[in-house]
Amino acid sequence: MNQTDELLTRFLAAIEADEQVALVTVIEATGEYRAALGQRALVWADKTYGRLQLGSLEAEALQNVQQNLEIPKPKPLRYQRPHGQVTLFVDLHRRAPTLLIIGAGHVALPLAELGKLIEFKVVVVDDRPKYANPHRFPKADQVLAQPFTEMLREWPINRDTYIILVTRGHSHDVEALLEVIDSPAQYIGMIGSKRRVKAVFELLRQEQGLTPDQLSRVYAPIGLDIGAESPAEIAISIMAEIVNIYRTGRAVSLSDALKANRRLPLHPARV
Amino acid sequence: MDTTKIIYQKLSQLISDTPVAMATIVEVKGSVPRELGTKMIIHPYGQHYGTIGGGCGEADVIRAALDVIETGHPKLVQVDLTEPISMESLGVCGGVMTVYLERWSA
Repeated sequence: MNQTDELLTRFLAAIEADEQVALVTVIEATGEYRAALGQRALVWADKTYGRLQLGSLEAEALQNVQQNLEIPKPKPLRYQRPHGQVTLFVDLHRRAPTLLIIGAGHVALPLAELGKLIEFKVVVVDDRPKYANPHRFPKADQVLAQPFTEMLREWPINRDTYIILVTRGHSHDVEALLEVIDSPAQYIGMIGSKRRVKAVFELLRQEQGLTPDQLSRVYAPIGLDIGAESPAEIAISIMAEIVNIYRTGRAVSLSDALKANRRLPLHPARV
Repeated sequence: MDTTKIIYQKLSQLISDTPVAMATIVEVKGSVPRELGTKMIIHPYGQHYGTIGGGCGEADVIRAALDVIETGHPKLVQVDLTEPISMESLGVCGGVMTVYLERWSA
Protein backbone atom coordinates (compact mmCIF):
# COMPACT_ATOMS: atom_id res chain seq x y z
CA MET A 1 0.00 0.00 0.00
CA ASN A 2 2.74 2.45 0.94
CA GLN A 3 4.53 1.35 -2.18
CA THR A 4 1.66 2.69 -4.29
CA ASP A 5 1.56 5.93 -2.44
CA GLU A 6 5.30 6.36 -2.85
CA LEU A 7 5.01 5.64 -6.56
CA LEU A 8 2.32 8.29 -6.98
CA THR A 9 4.41 10.80 -5.04
CA ARG A 10 7.42 10.10 -7.24
CA PHE A 11 5.33 10.27 -10.40
CA LEU A 12 3.94 13.68 -9.43
CA ALA A 13 7.42 14.94 -8.50
CA ALA A 14 8.74 13.84 -11.91
CA ILE A 15 5.84 15.59 -13.66
CA GLU A 16 6.49 18.72 -11.61
CA ALA A 17 10.14 18.63 -12.69
CA ASP A 18 8.93 18.25 -16.30
CA GLU A 19 10.72 14.94 -16.80
CA GLN A 20 9.77 12.55 -19.60
CA VAL A 21 8.32 9.73 -17.50
CA ALA A 22 5.85 6.89 -17.97
CA LEU A 23 3.56 5.19 -15.48
CA VAL A 24 3.24 1.60 -16.63
CA THR A 25 0.40 -0.61 -15.42
CA VAL A 26 -0.17 -4.32 -15.98
CA ILE A 27 -3.81 -4.23 -17.15
CA GLU A 28 -4.04 -7.82 -18.31
CA ALA A 29 -2.15 -10.84 -17.00
CA THR A 30 -3.01 -14.50 -17.43
CA GLY A 31 -1.40 -17.85 -16.69
CA GLU A 32 1.92 -17.66 -14.93
CA TYR A 33 1.80 -13.85 -14.98
CA ARG A 34 -1.52 -13.69 -13.12
CA ALA A 35 0.01 -12.21 -9.95
CA ALA A 36 1.27 -9.19 -11.92
CA LEU A 37 -2.22 -7.82 -12.63
CA GLY A 38 -2.49 -4.24 -11.41
CA GLN A 39 1.25 -3.82 -10.74
CA ARG A 40 2.68 -0.41 -11.54
CA ALA A 41 6.13 0.97 -12.27
CA LEU A 42 7.65 4.29 -13.31
CA VAL A 43 9.97 4.36 -16.28
CA TRP A 44 12.43 7.06 -17.33
CA ALA A 45 14.96 6.84 -20.17
CA ASP A 46 17.72 5.93 -17.72
CA LYS A 47 16.00 4.45 -14.66
CA THR A 48 12.90 2.75 -13.31
CA TYR A 49 11.00 2.64 -10.03
CA GLY A 50 8.81 -0.22 -8.81
CA ARG A 51 8.38 -3.75 -10.13
CA LEU A 52 5.79 -5.27 -12.46
CA GLN A 53 6.38 -8.79 -11.08
CA LEU A 54 6.68 -10.22 -14.57
CA GLY A 55 9.56 -12.54 -13.74
CA SER A 56 11.63 -13.38 -16.80
CA LEU A 57 9.62 -10.91 -18.90
CA GLU A 58 10.26 -7.94 -16.58
CA ALA A 59 13.54 -6.67 -18.05
CA GLU A 60 12.34 -6.96 -21.64
CA ALA A 61 9.05 -5.19 -20.88
CA LEU A 62 10.66 -2.27 -19.05
CA GLN A 63 13.19 -1.92 -21.83
CA ASN A 64 10.38 -1.79 -24.41
CA VAL A 65 8.69 0.99 -22.45
CA GLN A 66 11.97 2.91 -22.39
CA GLN A 67 12.24 2.56 -26.16
CA ASN A 68 8.71 3.98 -26.47
CA LEU A 69 9.31 7.02 -24.28
CA GLU A 70 9.79 9.37 -27.23
CA ILE A 71 6.61 8.24 -29.00
CA PRO A 72 3.90 10.85 -28.37
CA LYS A 73 1.04 8.36 -27.98
CA PRO A 74 2.38 5.00 -26.84
CA LYS A 75 0.16 2.02 -27.62
CA PRO A 76 -0.44 -0.73 -25.05
CA LEU A 77 2.31 -3.37 -25.16
CA ARG A 78 1.19 -6.97 -25.51
CA TYR A 79 3.19 -10.10 -24.79
CA GLN A 80 2.03 -13.57 -25.72
CA ARG A 81 4.08 -16.32 -24.12
CA PRO A 82 3.47 -20.08 -23.95
CA HIS A 83 2.44 -19.83 -20.31
CA GLY A 84 0.35 -16.69 -20.34
CA GLN A 85 -0.15 -13.25 -21.74
CA VAL A 86 0.41 -9.74 -20.50
CA THR A 87 -0.82 -6.29 -21.56
CA LEU A 88 0.88 -3.15 -20.32
CA PHE A 89 -0.72 0.28 -20.47
CA VAL A 90 1.74 3.15 -20.76
CA ASP A 91 0.70 6.53 -19.40
CA LEU A 92 3.25 9.02 -20.64
CA HIS A 93 3.96 12.45 -19.26
CA ARG A 94 5.50 14.39 -22.12
CA ARG A 95 8.05 17.09 -21.46
CA ALA A 96 6.62 20.51 -22.32
CA PRO A 97 7.52 21.26 -25.93
CA THR A 98 9.73 24.30 -26.58
CA LEU A 99 9.36 26.70 -29.47
CA LEU A 100 12.62 28.37 -30.49
CA ILE A 101 11.81 31.41 -32.61
CA ILE A 102 15.00 32.39 -34.39
CA GLY A 103 14.58 36.03 -35.41
CA ALA A 104 12.43 38.61 -33.59
CA GLY A 105 10.83 40.39 -36.56
CA HIS A 106 7.19 40.87 -37.58
CA VAL A 107 6.31 37.16 -37.97
CA ALA A 108 7.89 36.37 -34.59
CA LEU A 109 5.34 38.52 -32.73
CA PRO A 110 2.23 36.47 -33.61
CA LEU A 111 4.33 33.26 -33.41
CA ALA A 112 5.20 33.95 -29.77
CA GLU A 113 1.54 34.71 -28.98
CA LEU A 114 0.30 31.53 -30.65
CA GLY A 115 3.06 29.46 -29.07
CA LYS A 116 1.95 30.48 -25.59
CA LEU A 117 -1.71 29.98 -26.55
CA ILE A 118 -1.05 26.29 -27.28
CA GLU A 119 1.04 26.08 -24.09
CA PHE A 120 4.50 25.64 -25.53
CA LYS A 121 7.50 27.13 -23.79
CA VAL A 122 8.47 30.08 -26.03
CA VAL A 123 12.01 31.35 -26.54
CA VAL A 124 12.83 34.21 -28.93
CA VAL A 125 16.33 35.11 -30.06
CA ASP A 126 17.73 37.90 -32.22
CA ASP A 127 21.15 39.51 -32.43
CA ARG A 128 19.54 42.98 -32.36
CA PRO A 129 18.71 43.98 -28.75
CA LYS A 130 16.12 46.46 -30.06
CA TYR A 131 14.10 43.55 -31.45
CA ALA A 132 14.98 40.85 -28.92
CA ASN A 133 13.31 42.84 -26.21
CA PRO A 134 11.01 41.47 -23.49
CA HIS A 135 8.68 44.47 -24.00
CA ARG A 136 8.06 43.32 -27.57
CA PHE A 137 7.37 39.76 -26.39
CA PRO A 138 5.62 40.13 -23.02
CA LYS A 139 4.34 36.54 -23.05
CA ALA A 140 7.54 34.76 -24.13
CA ASP A 141 9.31 32.69 -21.48
CA GLN A 142 12.73 33.95 -22.59
CA VAL A 143 13.88 36.67 -24.96
CA LEU A 144 17.57 36.46 -25.78
CA ALA A 145 19.65 39.19 -27.43
CA GLN A 146 22.48 37.05 -28.70
CA PRO A 147 24.07 35.94 -31.99
CA PHE A 148 21.93 33.16 -33.52
CA THR A 149 24.64 30.52 -33.89
CA GLU A 150 26.00 31.10 -30.40
CA MET A 151 22.52 30.72 -28.86
CA LEU A 152 21.75 27.56 -30.84
CA ARG A 153 25.08 25.98 -30.00
CA GLU A 154 24.41 26.46 -26.28
CA TRP A 155 20.71 25.59 -26.19
CA PRO A 156 19.88 22.00 -25.11
CA ILE A 157 17.88 20.87 -28.17
CA ASN A 158 15.86 17.65 -27.72
CA ARG A 159 13.02 15.75 -29.40
CA ASP A 160 10.52 18.22 -27.97
CA THR A 161 12.21 21.26 -29.50
CA TYR A 162 10.52 23.01 -32.42
CA ILE A 163 12.74 25.47 -34.28
CA ILE A 164 11.40 28.23 -36.54
CA LEU A 165 13.90 30.12 -38.68
CA VAL A 166 12.45 33.55 -39.39
CA THR A 167 15.42 35.91 -39.26
CA ARG A 168 15.62 39.16 -41.20
CA GLY A 169 17.73 37.63 -43.96
CA HIS A 170 18.38 34.33 -45.62
CA SER A 171 22.06 34.33 -44.75
CA HIS A 172 21.12 34.31 -41.06
CA ASP A 173 18.51 31.57 -41.62
CA VAL A 174 21.13 29.42 -43.34
CA GLU A 175 23.73 30.10 -40.65
CA ALA A 176 21.21 29.00 -38.01
CA LEU A 177 20.08 26.03 -40.10
CA LEU A 178 23.64 24.68 -40.33
CA GLU A 179 23.83 24.85 -36.55
CA VAL A 180 20.70 22.69 -36.00
CA ILE A 181 20.49 20.44 -39.07
CA ASP A 182 21.90 17.42 -37.19
CA SER A 183 20.18 18.17 -33.87
CA PRO A 184 17.44 15.91 -32.46
CA ALA A 185 14.83 18.73 -32.87
CA GLN A 186 11.34 17.46 -33.77
CA TYR A 187 10.79 20.33 -36.17
CA ILE A 188 12.98 22.68 -38.18
CA GLY A 189 11.05 25.12 -40.36
CA MET A 190 12.57 27.83 -42.53
CA ILE A 191 10.69 30.73 -44.09
CA GLY A 192 11.01 31.55 -47.79
CA SER A 193 9.24 31.14 -51.13
CA LYS A 194 9.42 27.85 -53.01
CA ARG A 195 11.83 29.33 -55.55
CA ARG A 196 14.02 30.83 -52.87
CA VAL A 197 14.08 27.62 -50.84
CA LYS A 198 15.08 25.55 -53.87
CA ALA A 199 17.97 27.93 -54.56
CA VAL A 200 19.09 27.90 -50.93
CA PHE A 201 18.95 24.08 -50.75
CA GLU A 202 20.96 23.81 -53.97
CA LEU A 203 23.57 26.12 -52.51
CA LEU A 204 23.70 24.13 -49.27
CA ARG A 205 24.27 20.92 -51.21
CA GLN A 206 27.04 22.34 -53.35
CA GLU A 207 28.84 24.54 -50.87
CA GLN A 208 28.18 22.90 -47.51
CA GLY A 209 27.89 19.32 -48.72
CA LEU A 210 24.49 18.76 -47.09
CA THR A 211 22.82 15.53 -48.20
CA PRO A 212 19.23 15.24 -49.48
CA ASP A 213 18.54 13.28 -46.30
CA GLN A 214 19.66 16.16 -44.09
CA LEU A 215 17.68 18.69 -46.13
CA SER A 216 14.55 16.54 -46.12
CA ARG A 217 14.13 17.30 -42.40
CA VAL A 218 13.62 20.97 -43.09
CA TYR A 219 10.07 22.24 -43.47
CA ALA A 220 10.60 24.85 -46.18
CA PRO A 221 8.63 26.56 -47.56
CA ILE A 222 7.33 26.73 -44.02
CA GLY A 223 3.76 26.09 -42.86
CA LEU A 224 0.59 24.44 -44.04
CA ASP A 225 -0.94 25.20 -47.43
CA ILE A 226 -3.68 27.63 -46.32
CA GLY A 227 -2.83 30.55 -48.60
CA ALA A 228 -1.44 32.68 -45.75
CA GLU A 229 -0.29 36.21 -46.65
CA SER A 230 -0.09 38.55 -43.66
CA PRO A 231 2.43 37.96 -40.83
CA ALA A 232 -0.37 36.77 -38.54
CA GLU A 233 -1.69 34.39 -41.20
CA ILE A 234 1.80 33.06 -41.85
CA ALA A 235 2.26 32.52 -38.10
CA ILE A 236 -1.02 30.58 -38.01
CA SER A 237 0.07 28.38 -40.91
CA ILE A 238 3.41 27.68 -39.17
CA MET A 239 1.82 26.91 -35.82
CA ALA A 240 -0.79 24.72 -37.50
CA GLU A 241 2.07 22.77 -39.11
CA ILE A 242 3.67 22.38 -35.68
CA VAL A 243 0.42 21.17 -34.11
CA ASN A 244 0.08 18.74 -37.04
CA ILE A 245 3.48 17.26 -36.12
CA TYR A 246 2.96 17.43 -32.35
CA ARG A 247 -0.38 15.62 -32.63
CA THR A 248 0.64 13.46 -35.63
CA GLY A 249 -2.16 14.84 -37.78
CA ARG A 250 -2.55 14.42 -41.52
CA ALA A 251 -2.59 17.97 -42.93
CA VAL A 252 -0.53 18.86 -46.01
CA SER A 253 2.61 20.94 -45.54
CA LEU A 254 3.78 23.39 -48.19
CA SER A 255 7.11 21.57 -48.17
CA ASP A 256 5.48 18.22 -49.04
CA ALA A 257 5.13 19.17 -52.71
CA LEU A 258 8.77 20.12 -52.99
CA LYS A 259 9.87 16.89 -51.35
CA ALA A 260 7.65 14.69 -53.51
CA ASN A 261 9.26 16.23 -56.59
CA ARG A 262 12.68 15.43 -55.28
CA ARG A 263 11.66 11.90 -54.26
CA LEU A 264 12.65 12.37 -50.68
CA PRO A 265 11.01 10.64 -47.74
CA LEU A 266 8.28 12.74 -46.19
CA HIS A 267 8.77 13.87 -42.62
CA PRO A 268 11.39 11.41 -41.38
CA ALA A 269 11.15 13.11 -38.00
CA ARG A 270 7.54 12.05 -37.63
CA VAL A 271 6.83 8.97 -35.61
CA MET B 1 -3.15 21.50 -20.94
CA ASP B 2 -1.37 18.91 -18.85
CA THR B 3 -4.30 16.58 -18.15
CA THR B 4 -2.05 13.82 -16.78
CA LYS B 5 -0.70 16.13 -14.11
CA ILE B 6 -4.12 17.45 -13.14
CA ILE B 7 -5.78 14.05 -12.76
CA TYR B 8 -2.93 12.49 -10.78
CA GLN B 9 -2.79 15.52 -8.47
CA LYS B 10 -6.49 15.12 -7.87
CA LEU B 11 -5.98 11.39 -7.28
CA SER B 12 -3.27 12.09 -4.74
CA GLN B 13 -5.55 14.51 -2.84
CA LEU B 14 -8.52 12.14 -2.83
CA ILE B 15 -6.71 9.02 -1.65
CA SER B 16 -5.52 10.77 1.51
CA ASP B 17 -9.20 10.55 2.56
CA THR B 18 -10.52 7.38 0.97
CA PRO B 19 -9.60 4.72 -1.56
CA VAL B 20 -10.90 5.59 -5.04
CA ALA B 21 -10.92 3.92 -8.45
CA MET B 22 -9.30 5.21 -11.61
CA ALA B 23 -10.90 4.34 -14.94
CA THR B 24 -8.70 4.54 -18.05
CA ILE B 25 -9.79 4.00 -21.65
CA VAL B 26 -7.20 1.46 -22.80
CA GLU B 27 -8.66 0.33 -26.11
CA VAL B 28 -11.08 1.89 -28.60
CA LYS B 29 -12.78 0.46 -31.66
CA GLY B 30 -14.92 2.59 -33.93
CA SER B 31 -16.27 5.95 -32.87
CA VAL B 32 -16.20 6.66 -29.13
CA PRO B 33 -16.64 9.93 -27.24
CA ARG B 34 -13.14 10.19 -25.72
CA GLU B 35 -9.67 9.18 -26.84
CA LEU B 36 -7.37 6.38 -25.70
CA GLY B 37 -5.86 7.15 -22.30
CA THR B 38 -8.75 9.32 -21.07
CA LYS B 39 -9.20 8.96 -17.32
CA MET B 40 -11.88 9.38 -14.72
CA ILE B 41 -11.72 9.05 -10.95
CA ILE B 42 -14.63 7.22 -9.31
CA HIS B 43 -15.22 8.24 -5.73
CA PRO B 44 -17.12 5.99 -3.30
CA TYR B 45 -19.41 8.84 -2.20
CA GLY B 46 -20.09 10.16 -5.66
CA GLN B 47 -17.50 12.94 -5.91
CA HIS B 48 -16.30 11.63 -9.27
CA TYR B 49 -13.75 13.58 -11.27
CA GLY B 50 -13.39 13.76 -15.05
CA THR B 51 -15.41 11.86 -17.62
CA ILE B 52 -14.90 9.01 -20.03
CA GLY B 53 -17.78 10.12 -22.18
CA GLY B 54 -20.93 10.22 -20.11
CA GLY B 55 -24.18 8.44 -20.87
CA CYS B 56 -25.17 4.86 -20.14
CA GLY B 57 -21.64 3.56 -20.76
CA GLU B 58 -20.27 5.71 -17.98
CA ALA B 59 -22.97 4.62 -15.54
CA ASP B 60 -21.95 0.98 -16.07
CA VAL B 61 -18.30 1.88 -15.55
CA ILE B 62 -19.10 3.70 -12.29
CA ARG B 63 -21.00 0.64 -11.01
CA ALA B 64 -18.11 -1.67 -11.84
CA ALA B 65 -15.61 0.80 -10.34
CA LEU B 66 -17.43 0.88 -6.99
CA ASP B 67 -16.93 -2.87 -6.95
CA VAL B 68 -13.21 -2.44 -7.61
CA ILE B 69 -12.92 0.06 -4.75
CA GLU B 70 -14.50 -2.60 -2.54
CA THR B 71 -12.44 -5.63 -3.63
CA GLY B 72 -9.18 -4.01 -4.70
CA HIS B 73 -9.04 -6.31 -7.73
CA PRO B 74 -8.37 -4.44 -10.98
CA LYS B 75 -10.57 -5.30 -13.92
CA LEU B 76 -11.23 -4.58 -17.59
CA VAL B 77 -14.75 -3.72 -18.70
CA GLN B 78 -16.09 -3.42 -22.23
CA VAL B 79 -18.36 -0.50 -22.97
CA ASP B 80 -20.48 -1.13 -26.04
CA LEU B 81 -21.86 2.01 -27.66
CA THR B 82 -23.16 0.27 -30.78
CA GLU B 83 -26.81 -0.01 -29.81
CA PRO B 84 -29.27 1.54 -32.26
CA ILE B 85 -29.82 5.26 -31.97
CA SER B 86 -33.16 6.14 -30.38
CA MET B 87 -34.72 9.12 -28.67
CA GLU B 88 -33.79 7.64 -25.30
CA SER B 89 -30.07 7.28 -26.01
CA LEU B 90 -28.92 10.25 -28.05
CA GLY B 91 -25.38 9.92 -26.74
CA VAL B 92 -24.68 6.79 -28.76
CA CYS B 93 -21.44 6.98 -30.76
CA GLY B 94 -21.27 3.61 -32.43
CA GLY B 95 -17.98 2.24 -31.06
CA VAL B 96 -16.70 -0.11 -28.40
CA MET B 97 -14.16 0.78 -25.75
CA THR B 98 -12.30 -1.14 -23.10
CA VAL B 99 -11.87 0.54 -19.74
CA TYR B 100 -9.34 -0.51 -17.11
CA LEU B 101 -10.43 -0.05 -13.51
CA GLU B 102 -8.00 -0.03 -10.60
CA ARG B 103 -8.08 0.95 -6.98
CA TRP B 104 -5.74 3.60 -5.62
CA SER B 105 -5.26 4.09 -1.90
CA ALA B 106 -2.73 5.67 0.42
